[in-house]
Amino acid sequence: MKQTEISSERNSSTDAQNLEPWTNPTVVGKPLPRVDGYERVSGSAIYPADLILPDMLHAAILRCPHPHAIVKNLNTEAARKSPGVRAIVSSADPEGKLVIPYPWWVPEGPPVLLFDQHCRYQGEEVAALAADTPYQAYDALRLMKVEYEELSHLLHAQDALKPGQPLLHNTGNLVRRPDTYQRGDLAKGFGEADVLVEETYETSCEIHATVETHVAVARWEGEQLTVWVPTQAIYEEQKSLAATLRLPVSSVRVISQYVGGSFGCKAELSKHTLIAALLARKTRRPVKLALSREESFLCAGNRPPNVMCLKAGAKKDGSLTALEFTNLGAVGAYADWADAAGWAAGSYACPNIRTQDTEVYINAGKARAFRGPGAAQSAWALEQMIDMLADKIGMDPVEFRLKNVPATHPRTGEPYTSIELRECLLKGAEAFGWTKARVARASSSDPVKRGVGVASCRWITEGGPPTTVIVTLFPDGSATLNMAAADQGTGTKTIMAMVVAEELGIPLQKIHVEHADTGTTQYGKSGGGSHSVMVYAPAVRAAAADVKRQLLEIAAGELKRPAIELSLKDGKIVPVREPGQPKNLSELKDLTRREQIAGIGHPPPEPKGRLIASFGAQFAEVEVNVHTGEIRVIRLLACHDSGRVMNPLTHESQIFGGMVMGIGFALTEQRVLDDHQTGRMVNANWHDYKIPTAKDVPFDQLCLTIDPKDAECNSAGAKGVGEIGTVPTAPAIANAVYHATGIRVTQAPISPMQMLALLAARREAR
Amino acid sequence: MLPKFSHVRPSSLRQAVQQLASSGSHVHAGGTDLLGCLRDGVFGAEKIVSITGIGELRGINSREDGAVRIGALTTLSEVATSPLIAQNYALLAQAAAAAASPQLRNQGTIGGNLCQRPRCWYFRGDFQCLRKGGDTCFAINGENEFHCVFGGSRCYIVHPSDTAPALVALDARAHIRGPLGMRVVPLGSFFVLPALDLARENVLRSGEIITHISLPPLAPGSISSYRKVRARGSWDFALAGLALALKLTGRRVDWSRVVLSGVAPIPWRSSETEKVLLGRDLNPRTLREAADAATRGAEPLSQNGYKVELVRGIVEESLRAIMESHPETPSERT
Repeated sequence: MKQTEISSERNSSTDAQNLEPWTNPTVVGKPLPRVDGYERVSGSAIYPADLILPDMLHAAILRCPHPHAIVKNLNTEAARKSPGVRAIVSSADPEGKLVIPYPWWVPEGPPVLLFDQHCRYQGEEVAALAADTPYQAYDALRLMKVEYEELSHLLHAQDALKPGQPLLHNTGNLVRRPDTYQRGDLAKGFGEADVLVEETYETSCEIHATVETHVAVARWEGEQLTVWVPTQAIYEEQKSLAATLRLPVSSVRVISQYVGGSFGCKAELSKHTLIAALLARKTRRPVKLALSREESFLCAGNRPPNVMCLKAGAKKDGSLTALEFTNLGAVGAYADWADAAGWAAGSYACPNIRTQDTEVYINAGKARAFRGPGAAQSAWALEQMIDMLADKIGMDPVEFRLKNVPATHPRTGEPYTSIELRECLLKGAEAFGWTKARVARASSSDPVKRGVGVASCRWITEGGPPTTVIVTLFPDGSATLNMAAADQGTGTKTIMAMVVAEELGIPLQKIHVEHADTGTTQYGKSGGGSHSVMVYAPAVRAAAADVKRQLLEIAAGELKRPAIELSLKDGKIVPVREPGQPKNLSELKDLTRREQIAGIGHPPPEPKGRLIASFGAQFAEVEVNVHTGEIRVIRLLACHDSGRVMNPLTHESQIFGGMVMGIGFALTEQRVLDDHQTGRMVNANWHDYKIPTAKDVPFDQLCLTIDPKDAECNSAGAKGVGEIGTVPTAPAIANAVYHATGIRVTQAPISPMQMLALLAARREAR
Repeated sequence: MLPKFSHVRPSSLRQAVQQLASSGSHVHAGGTDLLGCLRDGVFGAEKIVSITGIGELRGINSREDGAVRIGALTTLSEVATSPLIAQNYALLAQAAAAAASPQLRNQGTIGGNLCQRPRCWYFRGDFQCLRKGGDTCFAINGENEFHCVFGGSRCYIVHPSDTAPALVALDARAHIRGPLGMRVVPLGSFFVLPALDLARENVLRSGEIITHISLPPLAPGSISSYRKVRARGSWDFALAGLALALKLTGRRVDWSRVVLSGVAPIPWRSSETEKVLLGRDLNPRTLREAADAATRGAEPLSQNGYKVELVRGIVEESLRAIMESHPETPSERT
């Protein structure tokens, strides 16, 4: 999700409770298995794609095969007569002109028509139909006759603003006014530098490649629409669907109880969800629309490609004097973010900085938020640049980074609630055996070269309202946790159940989590920007504390003692002075009479004048075979400050998962477009688009943590961890490749193909 | 999503061959390649003839003459883990183990591995390319990072198989059954260059299938190895690979087979490299000359020049490993 560096709104909540973070938690912080682990592993969890409703139809979408074309004529007659076909929607219908709203983090952009006759990317929706079976639907698509007028296409950001290039939108190819940030005096900073380095870095377009493709099931009951869709953002989708279909918000219900991976690409209303709803309305039958793998490669989001030009200067003592970072990013065919430079301004203490982000349209699928959006691309460039500077002044890269760790946020001067970046670097380096590994080099005759690299990272997270959570306690000591949060595989359900267990002293098994359903939960922020734990843990805790307060009041009345002399332990009321005389909840008559206690919680507002950010450092060791270009990551070590670790198992999953993604970003993943000919994606499949396999991931992975005991960030003491784990991995690997070979690979991914070409070029240069 | 086809599962080879005689028939063995091709519309099918019910096509056994027979339906996993193969033809076991992914090796067959269609992304994708009857090879001016540097003309596919170069190096023979009866073709002559025929990658005629592979015994003391380089650790085809079989006295090469994968439309036997090696001691100079010979005549496209470097790299690396594990040739006394 698009994250703004500085929080603009800090809502205050009147019923926020001032709870201090736990000092000796008994449940929180334990490596407990997931509450829904059995369901996920056994296959009994029902994902939206598993859903089968009575009379359900199956829909499929006809997509433009060209990167840029006009639909001159669409004939659906034969498809309409094809067996099993029940309804068709296309630009010929009034619904075809519906406009899909942008998500809140993309403030403006050219209108996104449901079926635009001007198709601006391969895979753009042209028409859709619903049939009795998925096979009938796909067969019928082939019978649709479309006459396209192919237009010349634009695939590279570097070409977008040149004269004579195709224009994607009336407004031109520039997405928004370039975003520039400046502090200090750049020329002066470069003048003070003892060494200067200049380099251009490029990242490739990376696809989210979630194991579960996008899918929606829609069902109407009268004017009431229910949509099952894997999403991080049920309320965002509800609002967008209601606005598009001109329905009251309360008439749209969005359910997302299981999500098979998202990484940011399932956080906004997609066309296929709207199409499912329209076809269901037309046929008065439920409709399922599941995208194929190929479709999800083409038009379900991506990490946009960036071209980043950097110039940096440092003094011999390792202090950064100046940084200039100019980024050009291609968002795809519609508005989104492809920023990178601005991130660098907040990373290190550098007095003189100028950054500029320019974003342009190209004829390719639109970008979407992708785990550490912008930050991962920015780190690819900046963290290699830091390595180059350190190399040039002959300083150890860890030491160089330590020299430039900021005391406060470099852009605003605001202090962080906690910052353990220095400790992350030091502890990580020690555990990694950095100093020794840095010196040890393979003999020069061995074609397999070893090297180590480091990169650091930072990720700002915002918690706070608005979000409402309800915890309900029953007299039998069981509880229901009701919250909006989806669990896109991050472990949110587990962690929040642990918070309830911690606060109420009842076992995890007795807590049911009712979540991610706009029909049964209250508004809650979407799961994005790594903030789920920061938004929800304080809210859940407040709700549970509200339950506890009410319960102890009831007990106080019955036991005729002040509530303050009672505590709640193992699901029983325990008088503080006579711990041997616990009372079961079922013995409390008033509780039994009330049937349940409901507590309501909201996250307290964020601390004023403080920023909350997670930090980390990652270390990589690689082997590069200079005869074959093969690169093997031998080991990875992460040392992160994400505040309190709520559950070491889910925390490790986040960091390891992030690092695996980082390996893909660094070494294997790349959208390949048929550049000089058709402009189409040639590798829109699992085989040709190469995500890392188990063999590409080192066995030796370690995740260390530093708990800053942050009492200010929120009542859980926890900061975000969902995205940061992937940010430094790729540059750490690139730096290790440089250490191993002396070759600076500026373009991601570092494939054996590229490595061999660079090795050959060096040989020739010598 | 799939074309409409009939499906038959004969229980005998004779019936299978009869069924395959009608046009639009395709053989189904492991199905790992067939189903993908049908789903992606690479080719159509009117009839699928599943040979999975024909027991005699399965299994690995040694024959009295010392040869080994591998039934066409034997899975890649079975080939990779067979002690008989591992002991006698290490190269083949390594090649089978290097193919695809564990799931695909459990399902895919050795016959299918030899007959699989090219992985060129234009051929597999929604492009009306030359090999599919169109009038353009998109690879020539397009994204040709994974295409061939040897043997291309008009079409620049690489043969995707790992076991094929291994079998060529082992002088294996394909036993083929068709409407006209049996025939035997050396694997070295089984594959077809685009210059000869654009529409097919091997000599199988309509209605013919491979029934088994036979492997002659390797001379005692021979060594063999398969080296594969790929862009990711598993489930990936070769950027380039080297199937190598050698007979040494000390470090002197008495006989060799050098076959490359991933660089040509067919398993690419480098007779020139074999000539360089013949009668020579493995030493740094021989290694260099062998690598030179292996890359001679390469004609890279715009994006695949790295393959020339890569072939050089794997030839040197594989020969060096053998050199270092063998004692120097005893000097001959007169």
